[in-house]
Amino acid sequence: MTDEWLMRAVREGDLTRMGVLFERHHRPLFDFLYRMTGDRGAAEDLVQDVFVRMLRYRSTYRDDGRFETWMFRIARNVRADHFRKHGAAVYVPDDDMDWATTEPGPAHLLERARDMTRLKRALQSLREDRRELIVMVRYQGMTHEQVGAILGADANTVKVRFHRALKELRDAFSRVPEGE
Amino acid sequence: MQCSDLGPEMLEYLAGTLPDDRLAEIRAHLAQCQACRDDVDATAELWNELGAAPTPRPESARMRARFDAALQGYIDGQAESRVVSMTTSRRPSLRWQPWMQLSGAAALLVIGVGLGRFVQPAVPQTNPDIALLREELRDTRQMVTLSLLQQQSASERLKGVNTSSQLERPGTEVVSALLDTLRHDPNVNVRLASVDALRRFNAREGVRNGVVEALPQQESPLVQIAMVDFILEAAGPDARSVLQRLAEDMMLNQAVRARAERGLKQVGL
Repeated sequence: MTDEWLMRAVREGDLTRMGVLFERHHRPLFDFLYRMTGDRGAAEDLVQDVFVRMLRYRSTYRDDGRFETWMFRIARNVRADHFRKHGAAVYVPDDDMDWATTEPGPAHLLERARDMTRLKRALQSLREDRRELIVMVRYQGMTHEQVGAILGADANTVKVRFHRALKELRDAFSRVPEGE
Repeated sequence: MQCSDLGPEMLEYLAGTLPDDRLAEIRAHLAQCQACRDDVDATAELWNELGAAPTPRPESARMRARFDAALQGYIDGQAESRVVSMTTSRRPSLRWQPWMQLSGAAALLVIGVGLGRFVQPAVPQTNPDIALLREELRDTRQMVTLSLLQQQSASERLKGVNTSSQLERPGTEVVSALLDTLRHDPNVNVRLASVDALRRFNAREGVRNGVVEALPQQESPLVQIAMVDFILEAAGPDARSVLQRLAEDMMLNQAVRARAERGLKQVGL
């Protein structure tokens, strides 16, 4: 059964089908929201919010769209509401810091782990819309067309914006001190 | 071709997904433009560094229990509101008094706390039935992973690769399927994800050899760079001979050779 079929069933009143959609999509959603907020607890709560909103606004689901596109639009709204209430995340998650500083092993692995922490810091320092593009393309594996459908922009615009975001990330990375 | 034209197409160039004529134009430009070559190298490196970041794992069982409770509450609420609307059409309307609202809120709080305790992770048990169930669940998850890896859609296969990293003790079939995905999957993102997923098995000699053997067959420099990083991480100083060979292989993309050279410096050559 496709996601679209399941969501149509939910819209027509078979709400239990939402459980299958939760099982299929809670991980990528958590990944997206965790990388956007940097807060594991908040990301778990926001995943719940996304699914509750999908239940509440199920009548707005249209037959002609991909389920994932609709779901990520709702996830963006949920995240925007969260940032309005709590402010945008600007910190590196604790577990990454642990990974960078306590991992045993050869010096080059330690150096790599430190680079990773700097990269995370640089990513978190980007403007929210830039970070979102990188998370969608790099971590969700979305094409420019898919991102465009979620953001309401054409693929070429996404391509140019994504290139700009990547360039800003490189600049931000070079600015983070090496000892961090 | 201008330098500014390259930027938006750089990832597609690195992924090897551009049409041949465009690819030839970019290669011709890169052959004469050091600044753009540096730009390509830096982007490739950044892309792979991003991919090496650990994937956060959600507490799926707890989240699912919470969601099931919320879903059941929503379904019950819907049924109740239907009953209320039916009864209110026959009887004078029942108005909620403040004391009723307070009692309702208190009752909901008690239910919420009880539910919270109920959905806490279970205390480890030694019951053989539970052990058997866990084993069956593990097998099912493994089957789901293998089945996702065979799907037509690249996003489904990507899900399969990601699911594999959530298996606690994946069997050799999963590891072989990941190696197979790395060798043959037509989608660059899926192949990249499989390199990341194979990192947990980099202590296995068969996996290390599999990655080394698969490297020259790769067409995408992005995947090749990720594989160079994998080899470096897996073998450390023992990777010298492989890195040396890659650094000198003129058939490889310049960014890949540069990464191998940097790796050689890291392991102290």
